Amino acid sequence: MAITGVRTPPQVHRFPQSKYIDAVRWLPPLSPLSKLAVLAIYDTDADSPSLETHSISLPASLTPHSQWTPPTRISSLSTSHQSLVAASTLSGSLHVLSSAMQVLLSVDENSGFHVGPISGVDLTGSECVSVGEDGRVNLVSVIGGGEFKRVYDGNGLVGFNCVKWASPTEFVTGGFGYGLQWWDLRRAGSGGPVLQFKGNFGSQGKASGMIHSVDIHPSRKHTCLAGGSSGTVFAWDLRWQQQSIVLSGVGTGEAVTHSLSESEVWEVQYDCHTKSSNISSSRVLPAMFCSEDGILAVVEQGEEPFELLAEPCAINSFDIDPQNPSDVICSLEWESIAIVSRP
Amino acid sequence: MSGENQGGAIVPYSEEAKKPVVYPLRHGLKPPISRLGISWSRGNSLRVTVFRQPSEDSENEVGGKAVEVRLDGRDGEISDAQWRRIAYGSVSPFALLQSRKNSFASLSKISSTTSPFDAEWWEYVLEYSKDISSLLGNQTSTTQSLIEDPKEVLKKDPEPSNLKAAWELMESFYADKLSQAWLPERLVDWLADYDSLFSSTQETVHSKLVDFQKDLVSLQVIEDEPKYWEVMSSALAVGWLDIVVKLLRLHGSYQLDQLGNRETENGLVEAVAVLISKMPRMRPELEAGKLGECFKAKPDFMKAWEKWRAQIAKLECSTFWIQCAHRQTQEGLRNMLQIMLGNTNNLCTLTCHWMELYIAHFLYIRPFTVGLESMYGLAQKCIQLKPMAASHRLMGLLIGILGENIEVVLAECSKGFGPWMVTHAIEVLTAGSHQADTLLHEERDNLGGISMEELHRLVYAQVLSSHPLTWQIAPIYLTSCIKQGMGLLEMLLYKQPVDHNQLLLKNLEICRLYELDSVSSNIMKIAGMYNWKHGKKGSGVYWLQQARDEARLNRIAQQMFDSVGRSISDENFRQWEGLIQLLGSEPKTAGGLEFLHNYRDFKKSLLQIRDGKTTDAARQAVESLISLKLLNWEERPLLNVLQTNLLLNKLQELSIARLRPDFIEADLPPHALSSVRLALATNLGRTTLEEQ
Repeated sequence: MAITGVRTPPQVHRFPQSKYIDAVRWLPPLSPLSKLAVLAIYDTDADSPSLETHSISLPASLTPHSQWTPPTRISSLSTSHQSLVAASTLSGSLHVLSSAMQVLLSVDENSGFHVGPISGVDLTGSECVSVGEDGRVNLVSVIGGGEFKRVYDGNGLVGFNCVKWASPTEFVTGGFGYGLQWWDLRRAGSGGPVLQFKGNFGSQGKASGMIHSVDIHPSRKHTCLAGGSSGTVFAWDLRWQQQSIVLSGVGTGEAVTHSLSESEVWEVQYDCHTKSSNISSSRVLPAMFCSEDGILAVVEQGEEPFELLAEPCAINSFDIDPQNPSDVICSLEWESIAIVSRP
Repeated sequence: MSGENQGGAIVPYSEEAKKPVVYPLRHGLKPPISRLGISWSRGNSLRVTVFRQPSEDSENEVGGKAVEVRLDGRDGEISDAQWRRIAYGSVSPFALLQSRKNSFASLSKISSTTSPFDAEWWEYVLEYSKDISSLLGNQTSTTQSLIEDPKEVLKKDPEPSNLKAAWELMESFYADKLSQAWLPERLVDWLADYDSLFSSTQETVHSKLVDFQKDLVSLQVIEDEPKYWEVMSSALAVGWLDIVVKLLRLHGSYQLDQLGNRETENGLVEAVAVLISKMPRMRPELEAGKLGECFKAKPDFMKAWEKWRAQIAKLECSTFWIQCAHRQTQEGLRNMLQIMLGNTNNLCTLTCHWMELYIAHFLYIRPFTVGLESMYGLAQKCIQLKPMAASHRLMGLLIGILGENIEVVLAECSKGFGPWMVTHAIEVLTAGSHQADTLLHEERDNLGGISMEELHRLVYAQVLSSHPLTWQIAPIYLTSCIKQGMGLLEMLLYKQPVDHNQLLLKNLEICRLYELDSVSSNIMKIAGMYNWKHGKKGSGVYWLQQARDEARLNRIAQQMFDSVGRSISDENFRQWEGLIQLLGSEPKTAGGLEFLHNYRDFKKSLLQIRDGKTTDAARQAVESLISLKLLNWEERPLLNVLQTNLLLNKLQELSIARLRPDFIEADLPPHALSSVRLALATNLGRTTLEEQ
């Protein structure tokens, strides 16, 4: 695919790892000259997972810093501004660690926390929310010492893939059938989501799809950004609950003009590096996504999408450096890490 | 490779494979061991289960243990992770070449004049070969120190690999058409890069140089050392001119304090050094730092060669030699002149194995050798004169190439370097000759009707399929196999686990890419049932819906029907909302689960009735009830006494309302009201009985 626009192509640094990288996240740097990232690693040959921090100094080095061995493979990873790392596992346990990989708290999978893998976790301040395909939504307080609070139990009738905080009391989840759910802890008594949205982007061959990732911009909590099957990236504005703004995808909606990917969009994030030409509050802010067909791109409402990477293998995860948003770290299917530095 | 001499084996295997290999088991169990279970695990691993004899005195002992034993048939030179990196990296060049081949094929169908073997095609194959070669490691070191150490004669190259060396051979002989005219010189370069690979089994010029390099630092008067002259002559024999000249300039006569009284000696050393660096080479260009004068055209080269030889001969007969007081220098230099004059005995003693002697022949005895036939003849002669201490896989390959025997080349590639090498080298081989092209593409009965090319691709695809990280690239190779590829691809896709959504979606993505809709829908059905059985009803229903599997959805609906009936309370029903939401509004995708929609509507209406809303609600309730088919449900009462009475009252209101003039006829089926009434009455009866 051709790179559209006349932008300067970004610099790409690749670091082969010889182990599978399940997820990557930036952490606040330890020194001004290097960067720090946390990698969820899985060694297929030894069947051993690990969570490792690596310090990165561009252009050429990626050095392991500290390491921790989780009980099973890591399914989801989230970091907070206070350099805390929350990692959930495929066996259903949740762990909060410091950036030096010291375990601060663990919620055991046998405590009735989740049934089966935890699919999404989000950490903000001292609260961590976790969701699973089992339909459970749990809250864990970092200062609470491993106790958890059940927000909802879907008994497997519904399942969630991802979660993101919108405010200290509100968060959004995503799951099957392009479904998004808005939760408000202040109204937790109602026993379910406060608002629901079901996307209908079904194209000819496919009945429906899944949401794999959601994001909320701190300054615009009313707009949820979501990415999922069939290259779909859309925004759900709570002020217009019944409709969505499609930013990319193969759906048949009339608004769809650009689609860089036709495959699973694994992760979406608002991209604060790309400056929008139009900053009206009704417009969706620029967003970045990565996909199974190897695309890392920036999409913006009503603009040509901009491709940063087009790999021959899947890009499974990425993170925009909050300290320096021009740098993006991503994990590639073929056992490597790429760091994209935008001009 | 024919059926007779391989005993019917489809894939050739080496003699070494017949030797037993011992793998130690570390199970840590106390004897006695009573039973062993052995089964295949993933990939190349065996799962061995060891059971202890149960005994009373050791109750705390573990009763058994399962361990995995990796059967590693690979050479230790390249680690598994490196192999995977090579496998990943070769996907794109391979796929690009295949697509170019396909477009070439479709072009030549249109016009019969364009043959796939024209000039443009060579460039594509060469590009492919270079891409692959770059994956196998960098040949030249990039980190060169700014200050050159005068005593470092041998550059520390990154460890060369046999695989890279083998690929370079294939590239020189088959892919690079431009190098055909100067193949001997390419072999000179090749040996310069890879002579160290033979050092592990025998002495080589490279190993001699490495040893001498170590002594160099401690040597005071270098020209007194016989090893100095021997090593230099050996290096000269195999054409490492830059190293020789560098060593020559370490000669003591260059030192400023000695220059005065060793003038003639120094003049002779320098004269030899200049002659060496002016050696004519039949090649288009030389790498920076390498010595010699290049000639592209043969007549020019011959002229220059004769002139050069005349200069050497002249120096040889010079009277200056008598004035040279240093005996070792005099002998050493004249020896070197003998090498350049092509003295067979000297060359034979100074080289360590046949390949080095072979190169020396090209350089100093038969510089005008052209054509594989004469190259092969010369190789045979050198092997007789100076056989290798141990057989080496690279030598086997080279002889196969020189002998122009495609089958031997293939077998050597396969035996020495494995399925990756064969699969990728075939592309280069078939581009190299029509004979190879026919041989590899011919369908063979003894291979079940597939060609050798397809066979090797399938074997490689199997290797890829056996690893959880490389199975995803196997489809690239399988789909290039016309006969068996698609069948095996389907099997591969069905074999993948469905328990994790991410893996499942990656699997389905491959189905989408290759338009395997039925496979995709079957996998979704498998995933649906898996999730359903594991209590993840939502995702179970989702996958079955995606697969449009109405039969299973209907059966699931039946089960749901039961549980909905049982858990009628409103609190429980809230959980179902999510699932109903998931089902969507399109009835056709929901299958039998459509009833859930109706049920929800019914519950809603019931709520409205209780709140004393319009009669319309009652009608809706009745409609829902009818469509629910809940009425004739035999097992249990559906509604409690209160709900039934409420509904009956509303029905009564509805029938009375009919009599009013402003009534608008609802399109209820005839007798609907009476049948509902009857059903409700039955229900009431049962409920009353139950509640008492």
